[in-house]
Amino acid sequence: MDFILSIMVFTSITVIAVTGIFVISGLTGLFSLGQAAFMAIGAYVAGVLAVNYHLSFPVAGFVAVLVGLLAGAIVGLPAIRLRRDYIALATFGFGEAIAALLNQSVSITGGAMGLSGIPKKTGIELAVISALICIFIVRNFKYSKFGRQCIALREDELAAKSMGINVTRVKMVAFLLSAAITAYAGVLYAFYTTYVEPAMFVWTKSAEWIIIIYFGGINSLTGAVFAGILLTSLPEVLRFAAEWRVVIYCIVVIFILNFRPSGVFGEYELSFNWFRKWWKHLKEKKGVMR
Amino acid sequence: MNVLEVRGISKSFGGVKAVTDFSMTMKENDIIGVIGPNGAGKTTIFNVISGVYKQDSGQIFLGENDITNKEQHERARLGVARTFQNIRLFKGLSLLENVSAALDPTARYNIFHNILLSRKMRMEEKRIKEESERFLELVGLLKYQAEKPENLSYGYQRKLEIARALAIKPKVLLLDEPAAGLNPKEVVDLINLIRKISQDLDLSILIIEHRMEVIMELCRFIYVQNFGKTIAYGTPKEIQENEEVIKAYLGEED
Amino acid sequence: MYLQVLINGLSLGSVYAIIAVGFALVFNILKFSNFSHGGVMTVTAYVGFLAAKHLEAPLVLTILVAILTGGLLAVFAEFVAFRRIRRNKGPVIYYFVSSITLGILFENLITIFFSTNFYSFPDFFETSTLKLGEVVMSVSDLMMFLISCTSLIILAFIIYRTKIGTAVRAVSYDFNTASLMGINVNVVIMAVFFLAGGLGGISGVFLGINYTLYPQLGQLVVKGFIASVIGGLGSLHGAVMGAFLLGLVEILLVQIIGSGFAPVFIFIIMLGFLLIRPRGIAGINIQEKA
Repeated sequence: MDFILSIMVFTSITVIAVTGIFVISGLTGLFSLGQAAFMAIGAYVAGVLAVNYHLSFPVAGFVAVLVGLLAGAIVGLPAIRLRRDYIALATFGFGEAIAALLNQSVSITGGAMGLSGIPKKTGIELAVISALICIFIVRNFKYSKFGRQCIALREDELAAKSMGINVTRVKMVAFLLSAAITAYAGVLYAFYTTYVEPAMFVWTKSAEWIIIIYFGGINSLTGAVFAGILLTSLPEVLRFAAEWRVVIYCIVVIFILNFRPSGVFGEYELSFNWFRKWWKHLKEKKGVMR
Repeated sequence: MNVLEVRGISKSFGGVKAVTDFSMTMKENDIIGVIGPNGAGKTTIFNVISGVYKQDSGQIFLGENDITNKEQHERARLGVARTFQNIRLFKGLSLLENVSAALDPTARYNIFHNILLSRKMRMEEKRIKEESERFLELVGLLKYQAEKPENLSYGYQRKLEIARALAIKPKVLLLDEPAAGLNPKEVVDLINLIRKISQDLDLSILIIEHRMEVIMELCRFIYVQNFGKTIAYGTPKEIQENEEVIKAYLGEED
Repeated sequence: MYLQVLINGLSLGSVYAIIAVGFALVFNILKFSNFSHGGVMTVTAYVGFLAAKHLEAPLVLTILVAILTGGLLAVFAEFVAFRRIRRNKGPVIYYFVSSITLGILFENLITIFFSTNFYSFPDFFETSTLKLGEVVMSVSDLMMFLISCTSLIILAFIIYRTKIGTAVRAVSYDFNTASLMGINVNVVIMAVFFLAGGLGGISGVFLGINYTLYPQLGQLVVKGFIASVIGGLGSLHGAVMGAFLLGLVEILLVQIIGSGFAPVFIFIIMLGFLLIRPRGIAGINIQEKA
């Protein structure tokens, strides 16, 4: 039972991080290879505040998210003005810089040995409810002026500017939102595993999340969440295949990019309308059968 | 007061002088045409006016605003709208959302309203939806509002571009070869649409075209460009009889 | 002391130069950043290791094996990960995701088969260091420098003096026109990937010899990317210049502030560069047309 609970917590945390990446790399199409660094910031700031300064969980978490936002602003401001390829490079560099800082500041963070002794405060309820809230927030983001403008500038930045969209401002909002969400995921993570080390937040983790988004379909939040759940929980359940997990979904993603680039879910989004129609369809079928 | 005034615009790319000393004025409800052989620099003029390129010299005034150094999106907000020679629609958004995207910069709510789904946000979204539907209706595409632009025919895609440009509520609308790729019936439709827009909405229109029916039918005034320079300007009748224009298009008689 | 720094910087620069040119070759022709290059480097490094250790191959043979393996692997990568996207005229972003995915795939495959142990190449040279006056240089560094320069000269010859080279340059300017002129674009692209892969192979083997062999070796491709950016994306000689510059700067930074904080400063310098002169030293500013 414990095992299943822990899978659910980790899956929820991954889902939160994935919703964050969905905003910046899916909707807005900006390759942030440094998202894991925001998770690290969230985890470490909250962890250090709790362990070294004995702040309570909610306060530490709140401050950590704020710091994540601040970092997002500092990195985002220059980064979003760059060309597509360069944004990947700049955010990657940011990730490396954060990792280096964490490794070097041994006295505060424990360096490469990590930070331990963080109180365990993340329960299954908090994790799942947080995930649902984040999904809710990002869904509303997508179906709003923000989501539309993000997709517009992703598809054709020149045309978007010509239609009056302040591309820089929209990118910044997306960047900050994703930084905050990802930092929060880090907070939950730290207060569940009670131990964090820099090696947990390498750039390949950021790349993995981007791969998850492309697997699900960059336009589909449902796809992103589903892919996140599937690709996190499945290998835990099939322990023996753990090593091959990444290899398998790399192969799958390459397949998808070749044969169905819009992702497994394409444009599809789960919605109440869909449920209503499905329910109606079922009722009609039952009526016919009688 | 002129709606649009362009003074002495020049733009070169490396050694190629794409536009040399172009000047033009537009009044309210004007429809003005820009014609000329391929490579004459017509789209470059549009790109400079809308802010895609920065001019090497010259000034641009929109009403009393000096927009010479303003960014693309600022010019759009002030009232310069355009369509593109190679259609540039937003894939991944439905027709309705394409038009809404152009209205979104005017939406008066922020991210916090969005997260909390506040009343202000819901009202603004409703307004945007209704206005988008109106613009789609104007070009006759309302029944396709949920479709993706890639699934539409070429003619419909062009209409969508126009609807999207109109959603900015511009003072000046730049149409870059709106009739390209349309069959004769669609061209007639287009001419009627442009006429309707010019009469019903309070704007001035600048058209680049190769299809002479469009230009001659609609334009009060025409500028003829060749190799970046204005070789003639005048009413449609004057242009049709102008020697230089005939030479430019057809070459000289031996 | 400064001479030592210079020598070390140049030798490091020569390694980066091969990586950067391999990277730039593909960027030139397909206009995207090929992150699978790192994976190719890693795999060839291990193959070279196997050849050296188990087949007791001498240095020259090992390098030849590396070039062949790298070239073939790169051509395979093009076929599997990029060809169909090109055929479907997919957006540039797909190439990018595909290349990162492939890179991660290679890295993980190596991890599965070789685990995360560090391996080292058998010694190829009898003396390991040379002393010229006050300057100490390792023989393998010298070899690396010489072989790098030789490869670059051979490459330059191919690109600028042979028929296939001219075809490569034509395709990099304009895809469609080149194919209309009768150039078989697919063959040219395969040739470019083979060349890039071959260079990647050389760099992989040398990195393995000089440092150690570990699965994350391929992440040095980022240095190639940075070098290309500094020199100007799309310019081959720019990539070389950028690489030597990067090598020197890095050695200098490590000397002054130590290898721990170096990534932080490199990030700041790189960010500054990207903001102030994004087109690099030799690059051309590509403006989007409407």
